[in-house]
Formats: sequence, structure tokens, C-alpha cells
Amino acid sequence: MIRKLSLLPIAIFFAVIYFLFIGLDKDPTLIPSPLIGKQLPEFNSKTLLDNSKITNNDLLEKTYILNVWGSWCYACSIEHNYFIDIKKKKSIDIYGLNYKDNRKSAVKWLKDKGNPYKKNIFDDSGNIAIELGVYGAPETFLVNEGIIIHKHIGPIDKNYYKEVVLPNIKNE
Amino acid sequence: MITEIGNILLSIATSLSLCMFSTVFVRRIINVDKILLFSTVITHVITFLIFISFCLLALAFLSDNFSLKYVANNSNISLDTIYKFSAVWGAHEGSILLWVFILSVWGSSIALFSNNIPKILVVDMLAIMGILLLFFLIFILLSSNPFDRIFPIPLNGRDLNPLLQDPGLIIHPPMLYIGYVGTSVPFVFAIAVLMNRKIELKWLSWLRKWVICSWVFLTMGISLGSWWAYHELGWGGWWFWDPVENASFMPWLSITALMHSLIVSEKRGIFISWSILLAILTFSLSLLGTFLVRSGILVSVHAFANDPERGLYILLFLTLIIGSSLLLYFLRSKYLVFQKEYSISSKEFILLINNLFLTITTFAILLGTLYPLISSSLNMGKISVGAPYFNFIFASLMLPIVLLMSPAIYSSWKKTNYKYLTKKLSIILFYSIIISYVFLNIFYDSDIFIVFIALSLAVFTIFSSTIKIFQNIKNGIHESFLKNIFLLPSRLLSNLLSHIGIGVLIIGITISNYYSIQKEVVMKKNTEILIKNLSIKFVDVKTKTSKNYSSQVGIFDAFSNDKYLLSFFPEKRTYNIQKNIMTEAAIDSNFLRDIYIALGENLSNDSWVVRIYYKPYIQFLWYGAALMILGGIFGIFGRNKLLKNIKNDP
Repeated sequence: MIRKLSLLPIAIFFAVIYFLFIGLDKDPTLIPSPLIGKQLPEFNSKTLLDNSKITNNDLLEKTYILNVWGSWCYACSIEHNYFIDIKKKKSIDIYGLNYKDNRKSAVKWLKDKGNPYKKNIFDDSGNIAIELGVYGAPETFLVNEGIIIHKHIGPIDKNYYKEVVLPNIKNE
Repeated sequence: MITEIGNILLSIATSLSLCMFSTVFVRRIINVDKILLFSTVITHVITFLIFISFCLLALAFLSDNFSLKYVANNSNISLDTIYKFSAVWGAHEGSILLWVFILSVWGSSIALFSNNIPKILVVDMLAIMGILLLFFLIFILLSSNPFDRIFPIPLNGRDLNPLLQDPGLIIHPPMLYIGYVGTSVPFVFAIAVLMNRKIELKWLSWLRKWVICSWVFLTMGISLGSWWAYHELGWGGWWFWDPVENASFMPWLSITALMHSLIVSEKRGIFISWSILLAILTFSLSLLGTFLVRSGILVSVHAFANDPERGLYILLFLTLIIGSSLLLYFLRSKYLVFQKEYSISSKEFILLINNLFLTITTFAILLGTLYPLISSSLNMGKISVGAPYFNFIFASLMLPIVLLMSPAIYSSWKKTNYKYLTKKLSIILFYSIIISYVFLNIFYDSDIFIVFIALSLAVFTIFSSTIKIFQNIKNGIHESFLKNIFLLPSRLLSNLLSHIGIGVLIIGITISNYYSIQKEVVMKKNTEILIKNLSIKFVDVKTKTSKNYSSQVGIFDAFSNDKYLLSFFPEKRTYNIQKNIMTEAAIDSNFLRDIYIALGENLSNDSWVVRIYYKPYIQFLWYGAALMILGGIFGIFGRNKLLKNIKNDP
């Protein structure tokens, strides 16, 4: 009896571990970002492809998408085709924030899969992402004249354009 | 240069900890004295190496060496020197280095202070320590290296998170970590005992001191954290059931259970295998806490730095080390049985119930903390478990424990005279109830049932413990009252002080929780607001600039019956570099109440959102915590124990 009971801790332990492993892949929150309605944080960085200077003042245009991605991130490659589709519609610009990545593999990734981004901010340290309150890639922000108006956590799907982007462009 | 030296030191430490662990393979072949000497020397060398690399990192911070990425990300030239130093553990990399450093110090302490236990046990404990060190050192080198460079070297750093620029946060993390990591000692002891298939009761009294020691540090760490939240977050709260707070509270509950079950094991030779399991459980909860904080798996206000990749590494280690420990426990726990029988009418039975409740509380909090994860994993939707669940669970499980405290204090081992006990305690309980009832009616004119129950139980505990102290003084061997005070057994004193502390704490929690007055109002300059019997006048807001922040300081004057009492200066700071806005509440404390004023948003030129709280008895929280810590310290440095040791060692 006692001996069987001492199997109980093992069982409980592995149940907990199971959920923790699963949880690692899930995004932890659907709580809207406190940054909504706020300015994009200040930053001063380089672009991914041509290594030219880019700051938050370069991102003041009317509504655009800011996508946080990394070539190491599997979910990013899933949502990537949707961004390519959105780009084809030519109604909105897409900027990328290349998050905790290595320049070489990021460039290769864009070469292989196509490049929907107008420009990419290279954020290898992840500092800009921290300012943006990013929990993990992918995350997608909708920004209007430097003000964040929507945040999506996790990969976007085919409804993103219709449900999130379109209503916000129409308002203009 | 610092990068190279730091990396070399850590690499040497890593390989040495592998050596330390490898003694496990030769422990039966080579003479145990030789292995012990080997492990001891290696432990101290590792501690020394990590200490030096910690100093190097501190030096890099103090000398504004922004060629280190970690320094550049977490410091700034204009940061105060003291915060430059505390920034060493202000983010992930440095705090893991601190973790490892403290772990190595605990390892060295085992090597130093283990004369009373067999050498083979010490060898095994150090070997297990070795594998823990090995894991965390590899973790640092692979994914959390504070010595990584940044290029180009920035001219100035990005500053320390302003939330962490507070005196309370300088020592809170180290204290908490010392306690947290200290749970590794009972863990390695448990594993070593299981490896040797043998236990002796005197080893348990050796272990108990270590357990109390890390309990004291955990208690200090948690209370400092609360204190910080109360003063810094600007909402007047001190506990939020945030996942990271729970992560520190679960090991606390479980080590508290361990502390009590060890008393029984040591005195009566029962519950030994339960104590061993609790030791494993406590350390698992500490590791789990580290995982929760570092992986960002749950939403938390403490998620200062997290990264799923790091989380995965810790989780794999957790699975490996705890999984194998529990398996070992399953296979070997049958060797640990001394005696099975005990009577229902005995102290050991009451302590068993206490353990049961503490463990259930731990699991209920674990469940609440992980529930959002479980429900989203099972696709039951996103749910967050809030304070109401925790408050309810906690109150309903803790109050029975508090009720049991007094009988536990008055009962005796093996066989208790329940009739005498009941008679004695029911008188005390009766007076406690009357006093609580009268108190609540006079001061708060209120009939909230749970407050009445909690207050009565708290007063009951305080009374019965105090009476017990006086009884012991009166029945002491000396005729002089004073001399008897100094001759009180420190173990008893430790026990009673901690329990009085719990009582005081509960008074603080209950009354401040239920009878606070909170006003969130828009105030114009030169207007007044009445709170309790004070009228608070909003005089002005001035701008002040400091080295690394500028702030707006509100000026509030408090009057009682038109007589000026004091002024409050709550601040709203904007830190120059990270642009964060921080609230510094102005608090006036006295024994019975706090007045708490925080400045909110500026609505127009002269009108502001102002939060004014009147919090009765909130100071009792800190008094209670202090008493508990004091009790713990008595438990570690018992005078009687010292005397006994001197007698025993010829």
C-alpha cells in the first residue's frame, strides 16, 4: 500500500511536466498589450538587408504592419505566406522586426521564402522587442503614424487581413 | 579582458564540478577519507572561481564597461553606484550567476560544517551538489553568459530597469535566492540518504538547522519583496498571487512542512520517509520557480527577462533530476522506516495534520498557478486564475493550521492528556473570542464573519504562546525571574516567537485587508479631502530633477482638527533613458496605521488623479515577519545547542 502510494509523486510530477512542456509552445497571454494607443518605443538600429540606419522616426507613415519574426521560429514560417499574400494586395506596408536572429540565416530565409517586408529592423539583442513588450516571436503589431493600434500574438492566419487590417485602413 | 577571464574561470568551474560529481562512481572503491578531501577541496575551489567571476562582473558594472552586452543592457553611466552594483543581478544572466554562486557557497558550507555525519554521506551530498552546479554552469556558458561582448561598444548603457532602482530590491533577490537555493541542502541530503539506504536520527537534527536556515532566508526574501511591492508599485497592495510570487511561496510552504515533519522524525523516529519526500518536493518547487520565472511561460509582472529556449533547458534538467530522484525514492524509501506507531492523542499526530494541510495548500497554489497552462493545453480556453481563488483557498486551508498551533504547542509527544489540554485551551480560546468580538465592534462596528474567525484564531495563538513562555519562566530552575528568561530553552523560544509572529501577521493581513479606506479621486490644487479623521490638502506639484530621472513631486498637507500634522511628498518619476514612469508613494506609518498617498495621472493644469489609502494595522505584517525571522534565528543558533555541543566534544 505504502509502496504503491510512493508512485503517486512520480505520477503527479510527470503530469506537471507534461503541461509545462506543452505550455512552452503556447503563447502565455491574450491580454492586450498595455502599449496599445502608445507611441512605438524609441530605437536606433540597423536594417537587416543593407545595414543602413533606421530609427522610430522612419516609421511614421500611415497604417502599416510591424511583424516580429526570426528565422529560427517555426511559427513564423507558417504565417509567412499570409504576409506575402497581404503584400500582393498592395494596400498596406509591412515592416519586419528581426528578433534575436543571426543576420546570415535571416537573409537566407528571406531569399528562400520571399520577402514581403518593406524594411526589416535588425534586433539581434532583442532589446527593441522587450520595449515592445514582445513575449516571443511571432507577434504582429498594427501601427498608425507611430502609434500602436493593435497587437496579435502568435502566427497570423488568413483572416488577419480581412478582420484586422481592412477595418483599420477603411477608417482612414 | 574581462570576457576571457570570466569565461575561463567559469569553464574551469564547470569541469571541476564534473569531477565533483564523478566521485559517485568511485565512492566504494577508493578510501572515503581521500574522496572527502578531494571533494572538499574541489568544492571550495569552485566557490572561489565563481566568486571571482562574480566580482569581475561587479567590477565591469562599477567601471561602466559597456563592452559587455549584459552591462550595456542593464547599466548606465549616471546610475547611482549602489544600483550599478545591484544591477549585477538585475537581469537574467547575472541573477543566474548569483544563483550558481550561492549554490556553490551552500556546497562549501556542507563541506565545512558536517562533522556530525558520516563521511560517505558528505561525499555523496557533495557529488549531487556537483551535478547541480554542473547543470547551472553549462546553462550559463551556453545560453546566459553575462560575459558576452557587444560590438560596436555603446557609449552609454540602456540603464537598469527603473522598477529595480529601489533600496528594497537591492537585497530582496539575494535573500530570496539564498533561501531558494538553500533548499538544495535537504535535497542533496535526501538523495545521499537514499543512495546509502540508511538513516540515523541524529543526522536529522543536523539537517533541521540547515532547513531552518534557508527558511529564514526565504521568509526574509518574501517579506522584502512584499515590502517593495507595497512601497514601489503604487497600488498599496503587498501580495498579488502573481505566478512569480507563488513560485517563491510554494517552496516556503513546503519547507515549513518539512521543518515540522523533521521535528517529529528527529524526536520520534516516524514520518522519516515523508520528510525525505518533502525535501525532494521542496527543491523541485524551487527549480520549478526558477523555470517559471525564466521561461516566460506564464504572464507575470516579474517577467523582466525571459526566453522559451532557456526555459526548455531548465525544464529538461528539472525532468531529469527530479524524475530520477522520485524514482530513487520509490525504490529505496522502504529502507527508511524506523517506527510506525503513534497515537492519535499526541503532538506527532497534530503535526501530521499540519503537514497534510500545508501540503494541500502547496498543491492548491500549484494548481492555481499552472491552471492557465493546463486549461490552454487541453484547449479549454484561456483562463486566468485570480486573487479570489487564492484568497479563498488560502484562508480556508490556513485557518485550520492556525487553529492547530496552540494544541500543538501544549500537547506532548507520545501521549497527551487531552482533557487537561482542552480545559486549559478552551479558556484561552474563550477570552480570545471575546476580545476579538469586542475589538471589532468598538473599532470597526462590523460583523464580517471571516474577519472575526481569523482575528480570534490569531489572538488565540498569540495568547497561548505568550502564556506558555511565562509558564516556562515561572517554572524555571532559578528563583529569579530574569535569570529564567535567559535560561528559556531556545528551541521553545524559537517555536513560540515564530507562532506569535504568524498571529501578528494574520492580524495585519485581515484588518488591513478588510478595513482599509481607499480613495481614488481627482483633486484640484488647494482642495481638501477627508479620510478617516484626517483632512488632506493638495497644495502643489513641483518638478524636481535628479541624476537619472526627473520627477514631479506632489505636496500634500495633513490636518487633524485644523491642526497641521505633517506633509506628504509622493513622486512620479520619469527615468531618462528607458522613459518608464515610476510611482513613489508617500507613506506615513505608525504602529496602528499607514496613510499612503500616490500621485496618478495629470489631467489638466492643476487637477490630478490622487490615490489616498488609509491602511490600519498594515505594519503588523512587517512585525509578524520580523518575529518569525527572529524565531528562526533562535532555532539555528540555539544557545542550549551550543552548550550541548561543547559538552559532547571533549
